[in-house]
Amino acid sequence: MRISGVHQVPFGPDRVWDALLDPAVLVATIPGCERLEAIPRDSGEHAYAMTVTAGVAAIRGTYAGHCTLSDLVPHRSLVMALSGTGAPGTVDATVRVGFAEVEPGVTRIEYDADAVVGGMVGGVGQRMLTSVSKRMAAEFFDNVANALAGGGVPAWAGEPAAAATTAPTAPAAGAVFTAPPRPASSRQDFLAGIAVGAGLVLAGVIAGAAFGRRR
Amino acid sequence: MTTKLMGTKVARVEDDRFLRGQGRYVDDVLAGPHTLHAAVLRSPHAHARIRDIDVDAVLDLDGVHAVWTYDDLDGPMAEPLPLLIPHPALTHGRTQYALANGEVNHVGEAVAFVVADDRYVAEDALDRIRVDYEVLPAVVGIDKARAAEHLVHDDVPGNVGARLEQHNGDARAAIDAAPHTLSLDLTVERSACTPLEGRGTVARWDPDSGRLQVWTSTQTSTGVRAAVAAKLGLDLGGVDVITPDVGGGFGVKINHPWPEELLVPLAAIRLGRPVKFTEDRREHFVSSAHERGQVHHVEVGFDDEGRILGLDVRFWHDHGAYTPYGLIVPIITSTQLLGPYKPGAYRVVFESLYTNTVMVTPYRGAGRPQGCFVMERTMDAIAAALGKDRAEVRSANFIQPDEFPYDQGLIFQDGRELEYDSGDYPALLEKIKALVGWDDFPARKAAAAAEGRRLGIGLACYVEGTGVGPYEGAHVHVETSGRVKVATGLTTQGQGHQTVFAQLVADVLGVPMEDVEVVTGDTRRMPYAVGTFASRAAVMSGSAVHLAALRTKEKALRIAAEALEVDEGDLELTDGVVRVKGAPESQISLGTVAVLSNPLRYAFDEASKAATQFSVGDPGKPPVAEDDEPGLEGTDFYSPERSTFASGMHAVVVETDPDTAEIKILQYAVVHDCGNLINPMIVEGQIHGGVAQGVAGALFERMAYDDSGQLLNASFMDFLMPYVTELPESIDIAHQETPSPLNPLGIKGAGEAGVIPSAAVFAAAIEDAEGLCHPGLAITAMPISPSELFELRRHHASEEDS
Repeated sequence: MRISGVHQVPFGPDRVWDALLDPAVLVATIPGCERLEAIPRDSGEHAYAMTVTAGVAAIRGTYAGHCTLSDLVPHRSLVMALSGTGAPGTVDATVRVGFAEVEPGVTRIEYDADAVVGGMVGGVGQRMLTSVSKRMAAEFFDNVANALAGGGVPAWAGEPAAAATTAPTAPAAGAVFTAPPRPASSRQDFLAGIAVGAGLVLAGVIAGAAFGRRR
Repeated sequence: MTTKLMGTKVARVEDDRFLRGQGRYVDDVLAGPHTLHAAVLRSPHAHARIRDIDVDAVLDLDGVHAVWTYDDLDGPMAEPLPLLIPHPALTHGRTQYALANGEVNHVGEAVAFVVADDRYVAEDALDRIRVDYEVLPAVVGIDKARAAEHLVHDDVPGNVGARLEQHNGDARAAIDAAPHTLSLDLTVERSACTPLEGRGTVARWDPDSGRLQVWTSTQTSTGVRAAVAAKLGLDLGGVDVITPDVGGGFGVKINHPWPEELLVPLAAIRLGRPVKFTEDRREHFVSSAHERGQVHHVEVGFDDEGRILGLDVRFWHDHGAYTPYGLIVPIITSTQLLGPYKPGAYRVVFESLYTNTVMVTPYRGAGRPQGCFVMERTMDAIAAALGKDRAEVRSANFIQPDEFPYDQGLIFQDGRELEYDSGDYPALLEKIKALVGWDDFPARKAAAAAEGRRLGIGLACYVEGTGVGPYEGAHVHVETSGRVKVATGLTTQGQGHQTVFAQLVADVLGVPMEDVEVVTGDTRRMPYAVGTFASRAAVMSGSAVHLAALRTKEKALRIAAEALEVDEGDLELTDGVVRVKGAPESQISLGTVAVLSNPLRYAFDEASKAATQFSVGDPGKPPVAEDDEPGLEGTDFYSPERSTFASGMHAVVVETDPDTAEIKILQYAVVHDCGNLINPMIVEGQIHGGVAQGVAGALFERMAYDDSGQLLNASFMDFLMPYVTELPESIDIAHQETPSPLNPLGIKGAGEAGVIPSAAVFAAAIEDAEGLCHPGLAITAMPISPSELFELRRHHASEEDS
């Protein structure tokens, strides 16, 4: 299935980009994301093992899988590859994400996901998949907007990569990031974040579906 | 009993039980807490290699008794499941393993098996099994299978499991020489039986007697018994298979053994506890079987009257990932496509293709709906091309009543000649035309058109080979109470066998029907049987029951003649009593005859005193004569030379909405010839159900696979099984009875007929309503939804503009 969408974030592409490549932000803003672990990959790629709890209607479960960010064109585009399995099913998605500064300090994020959703979610949850994906994407952006509105931009985000030609350094292999405890409203706490455009997609797609661990 | 029950609308004896919720299905068996429950881990991928399965997290789980993968199977259980119906043309037959052996070939394939205290624990355990898959490209749909860019099985080149050609005459030459020719491409999509009760199996191992008892929701108890014994290394005599009430089969349950039908008994033996597996709805969608998916190319040559001079059909059959049921479905399409017609020459060739989807086994109609769609669309196309009445073109091609038996010159699905035994197709056509108002329809259509309404009419004919062999048997036993116990080995899925077989026995033995009890599908009662499929139960078991009852009657008369000291010819058997004709006071009840038939040493009640050694018998002879057996009973078998061919015609009037393209059924008519009727009410019920399933297949149901082999509509939320609200309020039915010369009752099968012409008849009617009949066929693929009809309109409108 294909899922695509557009969202605007009231921050410039440089800040959005950096946030997206920061696992601490990812883990905190992707709905249901509990854990990210950096794993060794080819240079220039960011790869994580991750755990996400999500559900479509009554079909809920925890998915373990991988997320890889590649084809990084700083501040412009990247490709996020997701794969995962959990009891309710499997997900394999390739998400192309593009960033454009539509006006100073406002980034338009376009995502286009090609996802294969298998298992129970694939067979039974199809009719709800798109709407759930959109809901989770919205939740993700809300998280981000709220975090930004609520306060401090973390130090790492405050310093956009000076050299726009290089991506932020990939996290050291084995580094583990866990989501901070989330209050019911799931607003404040995060690192003032930034939001990740793609995570959201992932969130969306997966969310609905399944995320996961590499088989 | 002077009134003959055969041919009368006797109320079904089963219904009281069913309607009061007293049906007893597999899941009702061994419902106690001692029974363990199984669940199956199924592949989420359509095509993948299994690199590793990690069950560690399950091993110590409370309440889990076993977790198996392929590595836990050995001996015959580690071999692929049987290829049930081999065929020389099936050069690349493949079957699955009970649990996947290193590779999965469709979403839903069994990968691991867990037995636990209850289904909840079993499913939780499944969640903890980690399977490491290497996903491979999936082959989905006939186009992808033919393109063979990727292979389903590495060792099956081109994804072609089989190629089979049959011909009668030189079709190519006949087409080339014909004054008119047409070519058509016709498609039918996948659907499935979707019985309300899915698959289910319960097994109990009795270590004291060394017997295995298996209850399973199947269409063949004896088939499952043989398979279980062979796979588990047990003697056939140590395995009983019992089929209790079955909540629908429609073909899918003729396949056997399913992985669970072997794993459950194996678990019962290994664990020493009863084990139960009950399939859930989603599992049924992805791990049982589908049917219908075929693409056809037709070339036809015909004369000015519309007579077919040459017919050349090529088609491609999507058989899914495995071929346990051989080539039955495409063989049926390739032969039964001919229907009531006699083309000058015919050639058919099909390829049976592998795809990474659920495998295919027969679904009610079994290849005939596709064949009928192809032939009837061809007839409509010929009529359109010649500007002739569609009924007239059909009539020009009919086999005539004086041409029977008619040999079509092909080999049918049972390996026998495709030779029609009897029929009267011109009479059927007249009946259906009268029933639906064919000749008056143009006026009706014009009147509706004047009101801005679009009405259309369609007609389709079929011939159905029913009652295929090899045989069925029956055992009839009169107890000393006078009650009659009847057993036949094939199974029952709600057809009313208990009623119709009791009718037949009551007619022969002259006993009240209430005194006849019929048992089906229990290998303890009748170990020789084949199964319930191909509209064969009435023909096969009905004939066998009739013959066995006749044997019982012969014996009863012989014993009674001896007791009453009269000639057998002077006796009659009515109301459960043997009487001397003309001297009714000289009589003996059937129960007493049963007593006398079994010489006893020990009396156990008043009646049996009469049979003890000081009461009966000629001291000069052995109590049981050398050529006789004790007991008032009879066993017989019926094994015909070939199938008997039923026939019929359907017509439908539809209205299509000019704006929304909604398709409404205004009138549905069926004329049906299944030979002599045993119970017209039950036959009509079968037609009603068949038409409903046919409407479903023509307008609603399909299997929505995506390119990766995920079945997107694996639930009743998304798979559109119609409600009664989507079906015609009534169905006009007329019977014609052309007896079969092949069996003693002159009957033919009736179970599948209602579903066969649906796709054809709806395509024709919708096309007629839309005025799309010229210049060529507009509707070439079924099912059709309102959205598709809407698109079709737009497509034609733009074609006309251009």
